[in-house]
Amino acid sequence: MAVYAGPVQDLIDELGRLPGIGPKSAQRIAFHLLKLPRDDALRLARAVVEAKERVSFCTRCFNIAEGDACAICTDPRREASVLCVVEEPRDVVAVEKTGEFHGRYHVLQGAISPIEGIGPEQLRVRELLARIEPEGVQEIILCTNPNIEGEATAMYLAKLLGALDLQVTRIASGLPVGGDLEYADELTLGRALEGRRVLDTG
Amino acid sequence: MHLRRLWLRDFRCYEQAELVFDEGLTALLGPNGHGKTNVLEAIGYLASLSSFRGAPNEALVRAGATQAIVRGEVDNAGRSVLIEAEINAVGRGRVQVNKQRLPRARDLLGALRVTVFSPDDLELVKGGPGLRRGFLDDTLVSLHPRYDALRSDLDRVLRQRNTLLKQAGGRLSDDVATTLDVWDAKLAESGEALAAARTELVDRLRPAMAGAYDRVAGRHAEVAAVYQRCWGDGSLAEAVAASRRDDLRRGLTLVGPHRDELALSVGALPARTHASQGEQRSLALAMRLASHEIVLAETGTAPVLLLDDVFSELDPARSDALLANLPVGQAVLSSAAGLPQGAQPGRVYRVEHGHLAVAPAA
Ligand SMILES: [Zn+2]
Repeated sequence: MAVYAGPVQDLIDELGRLPGIGPKSAQRIAFHLLKLPRDDALRLARAVVEAKERVSFCTRCFNIAEGDACAICTDPRREASVLCVVEEPRDVVAVEKTGEFHGRYHVLQGAISPIEGIGPEQLRVRELLARIEPEGVQEIILCTNPNIEGEATAMYLAKLLGALDLQVTRIASGLPVGGDLEYADELTLGRALEGRRVLDTG
Repeated sequence: MHLRRLWLRDFRCYEQAELVFDEGLTALLGPNGHGKTNVLEAIGYLASLSSFRGAPNEALVRAGATQAIVRGEVDNAGRSVLIEAEINAVGRGRVQVNKQRLPRARDLLGALRVTVFSPDDLELVKGGPGLRRGFLDDTLVSLHPRYDALRSDLDRVLRQRNTLLKQAGGRLSDDVATTLDVWDAKLAESGEALAAARTELVDRLRPAMAGAYDRVAGRHAEVAAVYQRCWGDGSLAEAVAASRRDDLRRGLTLVGPHRDELALSVGALPARTHASQGEQRSLALAMRLASHEIVLAETGTAPVLLLDDVFSELDPARSDALLANLPVGQAVLSSAAGLPQGAQPGRVYRVEHGHLAVAPAA
């Protein structure tokens, strides 16, 4: 429902499309932006444009990359046989901070969540399956968030991967339940990685 | 555990307010609609991060402000704990304990516990089963914060599963079936866990309720409370599987603890439909008293009693009986009709037009 004049309504509509921003917040942020000094507003606009132009996703693992492949995929020291599956690029950062993981990643770019209109088709699942044979993957660690959507995604992937000849593991519980990986400190997440258990797939 | 001080900023009708509480009874007196309940609501907010009147956060922020702040100083076994909650009209709030920001608001639970008696409590007995499930879940959360995680997990699973069912539009494609399997498993897992916790709680509440009922009503009656799973004695996983076709047709999850009932009876008759209004009131009070007693027994500290204008709803005999049977500990009561007879508050506030003034204690 368009309430305001052209450009204002456009701004509200665009903001309302962002995750976690409802119509009310969109309106509030829009009016906040309108009140900002011109330079501040332009700086934000420029940051969006720059990020969009300079940063893209790794064509192999869908982590953030400046170029075709990310720094981890191009690092020859990383083991190809172990894949750590995470929801978002920020989770790659969280796992990297533990220093406990030396394999490669696969970023799903989300988790199964019907409320947000995300099913398995919207995630990078097909791309994950396509990597297994050519890269000689022997273990997949499901490192999705310890919340409902993350658990559901892990369960879905475990079923899907169960038919294949590889080991599927899930990070150990002990992470704060209902939270995000990014909330876990390095030590806890490191222990959760180390204590990962083999999933009973099928 | 007791609350020493409370500060409010832009909370409901209060621009600024500060209250000091007695270790025993504090009374808030004044006409209805002038802000007494708002004070109790603020205390309750520090305990549960929600309004016991079921108000959304934006309703708690004073008109014209964007953020409310509730700050309470709690004495927990001699240790002073400062709890601060920022409530934003839009977006998530923030919580600090002793000036340390908590990563998750849920980590606050347990820093302050309350038992709320409100005039609406009669609905616990007379109203729909959702209120009774809420009563059980609130008590569980007071017993242990992990039940808050369990409850919100289940809510989330149900929302996700119902959305998926609606999106499926009555058809079960392979894709929907695989994803539904996942939600079914999550539903069975958290649903069984919550139902088991509620059942165990009801087993503990039953004797406490029966005792409290006799004391409040002033005479003995057979009071029973039974937790009824809507899927009977079998496993929830099987029941969910059996219900899949109906669920798909209706676009709704038809079995699970969200449809369970806490069946109450007085003298072997269902309390909701067959008890007198007086019996229903006594039973509602008994439920609150029993919940308080169990939380005290389990945690070793008495929750702060919040009595929101309850005495005006009671006949003199029940009012006396409730006052006489109030558990030892701290209590804050509000009343529009003056102090109930026999109440001896250590501190009294007059509340008028959102303004608080200390009045001489009775
Ligand atoms: Zn990569």
